[in-house]
Amino acid sequence: MTLQKLFLCFSLCVCQFISAQNDSITKLKEVVVSDNNFKKFSTSQSVLKLNDSIINKNEALLTDLLNFNSVIYFKEYGRGMLSTVSFRGTTASQTAVIWNGININSQMNGSTDFNTISASDYNSINVKAGGGSVIYGSGAIGGTVHLNNDLSFNNQFDNSLKLYYGSFNTIGVNYKMNVSNEKWSTQIGFSKNSSTNDYLYLNKYNWRGEQRRNRNGQYDVMGLNADFGYKINKNNILKLYSQTSNTDRNTSLVSESETKSKYINGFSRNLIEYNGDFDKLTTNFKTAYIFENYQYFADIDRDYYSYGKTESLITKLDLGCQLLKSIQINGVLDYNRTKGYGTSFGNHIRELGSFAFLAKQQVNTKWQNEFGIRKEFNDVYKSPVLFSLGSSYAFNKFYNLKLNLSRNFRIPTYNDLYWEEGGNPDLKPESSYQAEIGNVFSYKKITFSQTVYYIKIKDLLRWIPGKNGIWAPQNTEKVNACGAETILSWKNNYGKNYFSANATYAYTISKNEETNKQLFFVPFNKVTGAVAYAHSKISINYQFLYNGFVYTRSDNDPKEIIDDYMVSNIGIDYDLKFLSSFKLGFQILNVFNKEYQSLEDRPMPGRNYNMYLILKF
Amino acid sequence: MKFSKLFLVALSISFFVSCSNDDDSNEPIGAYTHGVLILNEGGSGQGSVSYIGNDLSSFTQDVYGTVNGSDVFGKYAQSIFFDGDNAYIIAGGSNTINVVNRYTFKLIAKIDSGLKNPRYGVVKEGKAYVTNGNTYSYANPASGDTDDYIAVINLATNTVDSKIELNATANRIVLENGKLYITEPYSNDKLLVVNPSTNTLETSVNIGSSADTMEAKDGVLYVLRSPYGGRSEIVKVKLSDKTISKVTFPEALDGASNLDIYENRIFYTVETAVYAMNIIANEASVTSIVNYSSTSAYGKMYGFAVNDNRIFIADGGDFTANSKAYIYSITGTLQKELTVGVGPNGFYFNN
Repeated sequence: MTLQKLFLCFSLCVCQFISAQNDSITKLKEVVVSDNNFKKFSTSQSVLKLNDSIINKNEALLTDLLNFNSVIYFKEYGRGMLSTVSFRGTTASQTAVIWNGININSQMNGSTDFNTISASDYNSINVKAGGGSVIYGSGAIGGTVHLNNDLSFNNQFDNSLKLYYGSFNTIGVNYKMNVSNEKWSTQIGFSKNSSTNDYLYLNKYNWRGEQRRNRNGQYDVMGLNADFGYKINKNNILKLYSQTSNTDRNTSLVSESETKSKYINGFSRNLIEYNGDFDKLTTNFKTAYIFENYQYFADIDRDYYSYGKTESLITKLDLGCQLLKSIQINGVLDYNRTKGYGTSFGNHIRELGSFAFLAKQQVNTKWQNEFGIRKEFNDVYKSPVLFSLGSSYAFNKFYNLKLNLSRNFRIPTYNDLYWEEGGNPDLKPESSYQAEIGNVFSYKKITFSQTVYYIKIKDLLRWIPGKNGIWAPQNTEKVNACGAETILSWKNNYGKNYFSANATYAYTISKNEETNKQLFFVPFNKVTGAVAYAHSKISINYQFLYNGFVYTRSDNDPKEIIDDYMVSNIGIDYDLKFLSSFKLGFQILNVFNKEYQSLEDRPMPGRNYNMYLILKF
Repeated sequence: MKFSKLFLVALSISFFVSCSNDDDSNEPIGAYTHGVLILNEGGSGQGSVSYIGNDLSSFTQDVYGTVNGSDVFGKYAQSIFFDGDNAYIIAGGSNTINVVNRYTFKLIAKIDSGLKNPRYGVVKEGKAYVTNGNTYSYANPASGDTDDYIAVINLATNTVDSKIELNATANRIVLENGKLYITEPYSNDKLLVVNPSTNTLETSVNIGSSADTMEAKDGVLYVLRSPYGGRSEIVKVKLSDKTISKVTFPEALDGASNLDIYENRIFYTVETAVYAMNIIANEASVTSIVNYSSTSAYGKMYGFAVNDNRIFIADGGDFTANSKAYIYSITGTLQKELTVGVGPNGFYFNN
């Protein structure tokens, strides 16, 4: 009986994650997650979990993984180049990227470039749709992307090595080592992805009649991470996460005669975390030091570059208390000090403090409520009071209803406030109200979730030309976004034949309130799909991405659009069953040789190939 | 019999061919023969060219794209200069000059090496002289303000033959009496003088900062300068001896721009208004001829010209969407409003 209850509870929990393409064999192990609040406070929202096996089926950089497997829309300045997102019709700085519980969006421009992140540096990646500013702070308006290094405490010594080689001299190495026992856990990883990236532009010729190709598009993304966990005793755990990355990229040319430029950026992140679990009280203390920098060479033939650097110290104290059997509360104190300096925005220190109160009520096994409120304090601008209200109710084992209402924000960045010239120190944060209703249906091996949402954003920051022709940011615009997201997953096996299918569909309307025009680079429709089949040593998969057309101009000129496109990849791998796993794989990307681009004059490659070797030992 | 028929056919063909050849030499053939070319700078995307016929009825929004398909036009279309039947369209952001037939707009060639941030050009005896911003001080503090040059282009081969180093910043260029005159409004307070027959820099003329648009007439170069926070003025440089005289504008005309001389009148603009003064007047007129409405913060009067008894105004708009061009009669009656491309910045005339 109790076992049954426990199982029900467990399956309810699992329901929250629409788990995509799990490995056919799931090992049971004790895993300590890096972000305690994630699971606790996301029951009323839609979460897509991408695990190791699905990460391995995609190209190395995070853009590809999320583009082919989530509802997030990507805009890329060519393959491997700057890649920014629009989630639920919001802007690039309104999706927060969370590394082990810490918001890592750039302090300088507010967004994250998804082509500077190697997906394989993480054990799992979660995509949570909807507001999350109460817990994750600035930028969690459209949604959040969570990069997790989870530590496991069991006796193991695992190594995994992934090598790949593909078209355009694309080379990738990823090595991960896990060493752990019941007291210690260590994870060390290294990755390097590079490409000369000189792919041909399909059906494009210059005036001399020569085939055009991608020029000055070479990239090299390198990352190193080391994570340690130590169980002092059964109540106390100490964890340390450390990551360094460097991306050295040239910027691809629109026309061959343009001046070549180059962009180098890197970061270093260190996080110490202490977890105390005492009967009814929990303590979580985090201190992080995050360094990010960039160098921009406007002309690669010259040594001169402009640069920007920020150093942030983040401390977070989270005290939890099991008030009643059904009610748990948390108080979170947060202090953040950032020092930013560079050629374009002088030298400024910004201090932010915030207090948040979170509560979770587990009425019964079917019904859970969440509540959160947060207020940020600083001396630069006024911050709104943020809140989040959520509820999840499982009517039966087939149907779960979720409701969420939240207020979120995005604070002005260093560039917005201090850019010389044009920075505007009188800016307010962008703020938004958001409401969503989610329906999750589970039937046998099928999970189907549908979420409808409405977001009202005001004080949207936009750089507009001001006095003397100097562009400056203003809190000018209001945007209303609404839409629906559908996520479907199915998995089954018939004897030794394993099948799985996943699909997502996003319908998005995001309009400027004043002009009633759709925001540019927000597609009305985006669809992704993946099917996989495995039989003993062989597995085959097919995935596709469909992006509907987008306007490229604010006036929605119907002639100035990026056409819709559908791109497909297929892959096959064979496990030689040598060592614990010895997979040899081959992928054909853009298998139908589709001519497409996500940004004007930035063609993407045609059919190209990739082969890989994954060793586990 | 058969042969004679064939002969007859051949004869008549050659007759027609020679006839049409005769026509060619008199009258230019092309869809864009009698009208106005409007250059659109472009924003995040490419620049473009729009065309309106002199009758103000035939309009093509994107002439270059219509004729040349998906060819990469280039970014930041800056200006156009002409030589014979050819138009040379400078795409500054792409270090390229597109050479097209000015009447058909068919692409002939591209000049795409030897240029670095090209700005404006003039032609003298089969050679084009194009100012190049080269590097800018924000990206090259050491020499960004002293490395501008003139690219000398052989128009028979469409290649850059040589460079004339200017040791200063350079932007607009005028050819008058065999000499080149150059202004630049941000980092240069001199009028540069270049002798194209020797490719050498001559003694420059101190005209003051913020000098931009200029035009020569009857041996005098009229330069409009409008220093920030100071009075605008027209500096008249007598080219024979480089002596200068000035017409200082009243405070109400601070920030004047777009000097254009048409039939003994100097036209100029302030914000969204157009004014004109007699070329020999010693005082500037403060009574506007036209005042159009604009919501553009940076792009007011982004392009301006007076020609054929008409006033042409381009509004830069927001630089992300197609913007507007307006055509007024010389007395200020609106004749046509057009939606052109992104950031329209200039008018050029095919007559």
